[in-house]
This record gives sequence, structure tokens and C-alpha cells, in this order.
Amino acid sequence: MSEPEPFFQGFLDDYFAECDEHLAGATRALLALEASLGTTGTDRVLIDELFRDFHSLKGISAMVELRPAEQLAHHLEDYLGAIRDRKVTLTAAGIDVLIDGTQRLEQVVNAYRSHQPPPSIDDVAARIEAIAPRPVKPDAGPDRVAERRAPEPSLPRWRCTFVPTRELLARGVGVDNIRKRLTEIGTIIDAVPHVRPDGTIAFQFTLETAAADAIDALLSDGVVVEPIDSTAVVGDAPGAVRPPGAGSTAAPTHIVRVDLMRLDQLMQNVGDLVISRSRLTEALTRLERHVPSSEWRSVQENIVAIDRQLRTLREGIMRIRLVPIGEIFRRMPFVVRDLARESGKKITLDLQGQGTEIDKYLIERMLDPVLHLVRNAVSHGIETPDVRIANGKRPEGTITLSAFTSGETVTIEVADDGRGVDAAAVAARARAAGLPVPADTLDGSALLALLCSSGFSTNDEADRASGRGVGMSVVKSTVEQLSGTVTMTTEPGGGTRFTVELPLTLAITDALIGRVGAEVFALPQGAVQEVIEVTSSDVRLVERNEIIPYRRGALPIVRLARLFGIDSAVGERFHVFVVGRGAAAVGLAVDRIIGQREIVVRAINDPLARVDGISGATDLGDGRVVLILDPGALATFVRTREARAVGAVGDWGRLQA
Amino acid sequence: MTTGASAANDTFIVFSVAATAYALRSQQVQHMEMIDQVTRVPNAAPFVDGVVFSRGQVVPAVNLRVRFGFERAPYDVRTRLLVVQADARQVGLVVDAAREFVKIPVTAIQPPQEALAGLSGKYVEGIVSLNERLILVLNLEHLVNFSEPLVAA
Amino acid sequence: MHRILIVDDSPTIRKMVRASLQALQPVEFLDAATGLEAIEHLALARVHLVVLDLNMPDMHGIDVLKFVRRQPRYKDVPILILTTRGDDASRQTAQQAGATHYMTKPFAPDALAATVQALLADFAFAESDGV
Repeated sequence: MSEPEPFFQGFLDDYFAECDEHLAGATRALLALEASLGTTGTDRVLIDELFRDFHSLKGISAMVELRPAEQLAHHLEDYLGAIRDRKVTLTAAGIDVLIDGTQRLEQVVNAYRSHQPPPSIDDVAARIEAIAPRPVKPDAGPDRVAERRAPEPSLPRWRCTFVPTRELLARGVGVDNIRKRLTEIGTIIDAVPHVRPDGTIAFQFTLETAAADAIDALLSDGVVVEPIDSTAVVGDAPGAVRPPGAGSTAAPTHIVRVDLMRLDQLMQNVGDLVISRSRLTEALTRLERHVPSSEWRSVQENIVAIDRQLRTLREGIMRIRLVPIGEIFRRMPFVVRDLARESGKKITLDLQGQGTEIDKYLIERMLDPVLHLVRNAVSHGIETPDVRIANGKRPEGTITLSAFTSGETVTIEVADDGRGVDAAAVAARARAAGLPVPADTLDGSALLALLCSSGFSTNDEADRASGRGVGMSVVKSTVEQLSGTVTMTTEPGGGTRFTVELPLTLAITDALIGRVGAEVFALPQGAVQEVIEVTSSDVRLVERNEIIPYRRGALPIVRLARLFGIDSAVGERFHVFVVGRGAAAVGLAVDRIIGQREIVVRAINDPLARVDGISGATDLGDGRVVLILDPGALATFVRTREARAVGAVGDWGRLQA
Repeated sequence: MTTGASAANDTFIVFSVAATAYALRSQQVQHMEMIDQVTRVPNAAPFVDGVVFSRGQVVPAVNLRVRFGFERAPYDVRTRLLVVQADARQVGLVVDAAREFVKIPVTAIQPPQEALAGLSGKYVEGIVSLNERLILVLNLEHLVNFSEPLVAA
Repeated sequence: MHRILIVDDSPTIRKMVRASLQALQPVEFLDAATGLEAIEHLALARVHLVVLDLNMPDMHGIDVLKFVRRQPRYKDVPILILTTRGDDASRQTAQQAGATHYMTKPFAPDALAATVQALLADFAFAESDGV
């Protein structure tokens, strides 16, 4: 069109109204996209929505001849098209550009609305062109059909058939109305028009929903509903709306969504089975001498078989509970962006290992701690750009969030390349708060212990980022309740790294059982490096702390009897569990190790019964509670006790304050 | 044993600790058990005898004798564990004896007087006289909120 | 009286098309924002011409076109594709799918009106010819 067309100026109200709608939708979609960056499922639907928004904006802007809006929308549409066609990957930087582009577009439209000259779009357009490949020949046909969410027939599916009639339409019940009501009930997998044998038209919707009763409301409007066998492949009707490429692969019918409560129940059942098996084994052992050995062998074989099968069953159920850690990670970009903007910092968030699967329970418990560590990294770790430049660093800081499994452990790390933890400042603040501070230079673990002490209040109680919600001490206690460990390494000026290690198999674990006086304790086997027998004469006293010679060095030990205030005759010989590695190793002294068991870990949830050094409870088969020791907390206590005046058990109590 | 059926009644469980009778609303009490073995939790608060398993959950056993400032007494055949529900928490209360369910009209419960000897704190919600016996109605939330000192030093 | 079905997901465009075609009165307009609605209208009323957008959220215009062309009743009804894509490949695809004519947005209202008028005339002529 060469001349401005005044005809369409009369539609400016409609134009602005529609622009507002598309711009608002695009903004919502972009924020959601940011938050879900990395989760493939969500992305595609949002990207398609965004494409449509900019496409429409381009079209109507062209009609009213608002060229800057048309051009900018065109750029954005092209970029979205490239992402949708997988010619380019969407990154956080890309989303930034899209958000800025959308905001500029909004400004252009608003300027037009208030008869102002529009702002320039050149800078934003240039940025889009810089990250988008040159637009290829636009695609001609229905390969570009709007993509639905890849169907996961995990919820029940229904075929809802609607035959339109004039009467219904006169009443306002048309296919669009039916479709809207169906989307309120569940998700529409596809919608296909059919010609019936009598020549009339019917619309067939495949609906996925758990709310079967809600469908009844549609029956009065002539919708025929029938359940679909979930193993059937979605029909290949002509003109069907389908995700591209779905013709080649059947809908993934091998996925089932399970209520977490049912899984918990199942885990509980398996836990009960494990206990019953233990009791059976014990009872059978008592019977052994009454049974001829030839008979006994078959009993023994069956016990072993049941053991093996139980373990397989248990592991199988564990695997069902596994969920990618991306569930936690995907919320982080949004958080970082928010906080970084507020504090004027520039931060890149690097996510690694999002596919790492961990127990759903761990996901739920670890969300807050990870959130806190990330917030900390933004608020206290990364410096402002000018400070960073002054220190010879790039103005943009990097926070790396990673997860990986190795053997029976999952490791989650939050690392930043910021200013590191200032040991002197922490020590000073700790002293001011009345906390015991070791005399020599503080290493990562000592610093972490101080940071996590519940007496250590930082000056950001009022700090929105760190004061609210979870503090470092709760991070530590949450991790320890999950039988995990958290360590910190830091380099002044270089950055800080927090490493959380958690056991993958949460609820059932192998444990060593030790007796202390009349009481019995369990210690997770994974934490124990060695069990050694110690003779009393080997024990040396160094400033009232006991150590024993160990591997060409010395091992500090702590007598649990003394620590826990349990009556126990100090025997000539006793056993020591060595926990921790290298310089951090300590020995936990019990009277005797009495066995090794597979135990079901039960959490101690009530604050009245939660104490440092105890991470949970179990039942060894007689209904009595047996406490599970927390090797990490005990080791920390031993390592840092030199800094305190050592006295009686009361020292231990003070750690809890 | 019921009183007059006029006003709205609530059902209570009446139990005794050191010769004094107390009552808790029965909806708050999940169940009563004979106390078997309690596993001591090292360095827990002095009034926490330890933990027990109750229906598969680890439940702390709070010794009400100790909590109310009395001397600890060994468990005997009459000692009971009342497992109560306060908010989302399950807590066990160790009491000397517990045997009665009574219906008490809400209006019969008087607010506690300030001068009630030996007791302070908000855990006594009210007092009711039943068959010439004085029963202290307890407020469960305050009772199990262990950060509050119960007995004036 | 002619009945014209306007199919486009943008309400603004639909209004503009409607306004452009007012000159063809007497005419009744039917609106559809999605392919499904378009098919519904076609099933329930006799339509003499369809103005059809291609890029729509639930069902692509080409699919609508193909479906409609399979119905004996609408084998020959004029369908005018009105879309933003102006390249040859798109035109060809549309033609092969059975489009009667192809126009791009932005459009001049006069041009649209003239085209629609011509298409209606053709159709009437073909009908009266005993097809």
C-alpha cells in the first residue's frame, strides 16, 4: 500500500484494545517463560503463544499503518519463529531481548495512542537481529499448526462429541463455548471436525481430565461423552489438530502420573515389610538349633531370596519417586533476575544437571534451602559491576547451580564468582554474638559452622532477600535431617561454593548398630569410614580432649556415653566409628558395635524431640525407638570443641541454643 | 458420669497428675496407651522423657509431672501416654492415670483465678467443679509450647 | 441475500473486513474467530462466500479449507484467503488446497470489496448454470 488509508483509522479503538490484549498476553508468557527456562514441556506452548501474539500485532499494526509497531512486531515474530523452528535456542539473554522488545512495542503503541511521536526501535531491532538468524523463507502450510502440549495420557481421557445445531447456537452454545468449558475442566488434546454418515457435522474433542463429574454439566447441551481407553493412540482423522510429527510417534502411553500420597503409603508398606523380615530373621535364628541342618539350608536360601526381592522392590519404588531437580532449578532465574535488578548487579545464572533425578521428598525439602543459598549468592556474593571492574573482574557475575549423582549420593552445588566470605568479619560478628570462635584461621567448615549457628544474626534481618524465610542455620538443619552434609569453600575475592550432599535412598538405609550403656544407637553406614577397636591404654588426653593414634596421626574421639549422659562402665576395650575423611575425621566411641542392619528411617518432626546429633529414629524390630546418630553434627562438635572450655555434657547443650 | 444436659456439652478426658485432676477436650486426644518403653533423647528438655512410636510416628513423650514442677515418679501400671494433636503436631503426654470421659457443659467452666497456688502461665484455661472435685481444664497449645516456662521459678 | 463468513482470529481485522464489505449490501455477515467456529457456521447456514485467514490458533486455515472442500455442499463456494504471507509458495499451497483467490494483508478496502463482488458474481453465474 503506497498511500495511507484513512478508512481504517476509524478502527483505532479496536486496534488499541487488541494491542493491549496481545501485549499483556505476551508479557505474561515471557515472564512464565523466564521462570520455566529449561523445562521443555512448558516452553513450546508459551513460544507458540508468543509467536501468535507478535504475528497478530504485526498484522493489525500494518492495517492501521503504524510502521514502527509493524516492523518491531515483525522482528519479534521472526525471532520467535526461529526459536519455534529450533533454528536457535532461547536463552535468558534472549528472553531479556524479547522483554525489552515487547516493552518498546508497548511504548510505540502508547505513543500513537496519545498522539506523540513514537520512540525509535532501531536499538532493540538491532539486538534482535544480532541474536536471531536471518529469517528464512516463511513456511507455507499447516506444518506450522499450533502445537499442543505433547499428550501424556496420565489422566483419564474422554471423547466429547458435540453436534452443533441452530437452536443451540441461538442459545449461545456453539463449538467455541463448548471448547472454553472443556478447557476449564481439563486439557484438550485435540479437536477434530467430522462428517457423520447423515451428512451433519460433529466436533470430537479429546479431553484429558480427572474431574469426570464436571463433564456431566455439558450433557445437557448435547455433548456426548465416552471414556477413551488410555492405551489407544490418538486418532489420525483428516484435518485433526495435532502436534507436528505426532503422526510418526504414538502418544507416550507408557507414562502414568501417580499421587504422591499413594507412593508414600507404598513406601511405608515396604518399610513395614523390611521390619517384618528383620523380625522373622531374628525369630528364625533362634529356631536354628531346633531345625536339622538339611532343612535349615532351604530356610536360609529363602531368607536370602526374600532379602534380595525386598531390596529390588524397594529400589523400584524409590525410582518412581524420582523427579528431575529442574523442578527446583527452574524457579531460580526469575529470583536471580529480580534480586539482581534491585541491587543493580549483573548476574548470569548457569544451570547444570537439571535432569538429575532426586526423590520427590527431597525436592520439597530442598527448595527453600536452595532458594536461600541462591539469594545469598546474589545479595552477599556477587559484587556490583563497578566493584567487580575495579577488582579486574568482568562486570557480570556468574552463579552456577549444578546437580549430579554419583553412587548413592546426589550433590547440589551453588557457586558464585563473587567476593567470597570475609573470615575476619564473620569471626568478629560471631564473637559479638557471644559465639565461641576458634583461635586460628577459620577454614571453610569452621566458617560455615559459625554462619549456621542460630546465634549468628546478620545485619540483614531486615534484608528482604536473606532475612525473610530460611536462614543458614535452617539450611544446615534441613540438610542434616535428610541425612546429608553441607560444606563451604570460599576464596576471598574469588567466590564461594556451597556443596550439599544428600543420600539418594532416603527412607531405607544400611546402618551400623552400636550399644552405649543400656541404650542402642544406629549410625548410617555410608558415613562410617571404619570401625576400630580401641584399648583404653591407647587413649591420650590433650587438654582434656581424648585422642587416639590413628594411621600415622591422631584421631580425636568423643565418648557418646559422656556426651549423651548415659551410664556406661568404661571398658578395657571399646569400639570407635570413624566418620569424616582426612583432617576432618573424628571417632565416635561406643561400648560395642552389635551389628549391621537395614533400617527404615523415620523422621523426628516434633521440635521437642529434635536435638543436635540425632538425625532420625528407627525400629529394630521390637517396637522400641532407636535413635539414629548424625555423624556430621557430631563430627563438627568434636572438631570445634577445642575452641570452647570443655566441661561436662552441658557444652553439647549449648550448641543447641 | 454426666451433669445436667441443659447447655452445650463438650466431652473431656480427665486424667491425674500428682493427685490433681486435669481435663483435655477429647477431640484433641488421638488415643491413650499404656506406656511401654520410652527411648531417651539425649539433651532434650528436662520434661521430655524421650520418644515413642505411636501408630508409626515418632512422638515425643512429655512428662507432665516434670512439666508442672513435680518430682519425677517411676512409671507404674496406671501410667498412661495421652497422644494429643495440637495444630499439626502430635505429642505424647505422660500422666499418672487417666480413665474417665466426662461431658462438661461449657458454661460450667470458670476462668482461673490469679491466685491459683503453684500454677502460672496460660495453660490452665478454666476450672470446673465436678462431684466436689476440682478439675483444671488445660489449654493444649500453651501446654506443648515448650519455649514458655510453665512454673514460676 | 448474500451471506458472507469472515474468519480471522483478530477482532480488529474482522471489523475492518466487515466495514470494507458494507458496500455490498444487502449482505449478512457471520463471524468466526477459529477454524472450528467457521466449520460450525458452514454446517448450520448457507454461506455464499468465505474470507479466510490462514494463521489461526486451533486449526490452520489450510486445514479448514481442505475440510470444507470435501463437503459436497461447499465444493465450489468462493473462498478468499486473506493472509499476511505474500510469497509464491504460500499462494500455491492455498490454490492447491482449493482457494478461490488469495489476498494479502494489509489490504485496501476498495480492492477487497471489488474482489469479493467479482467472486460472488462468478459463483451466482456458476450456480445458475445448473452446477
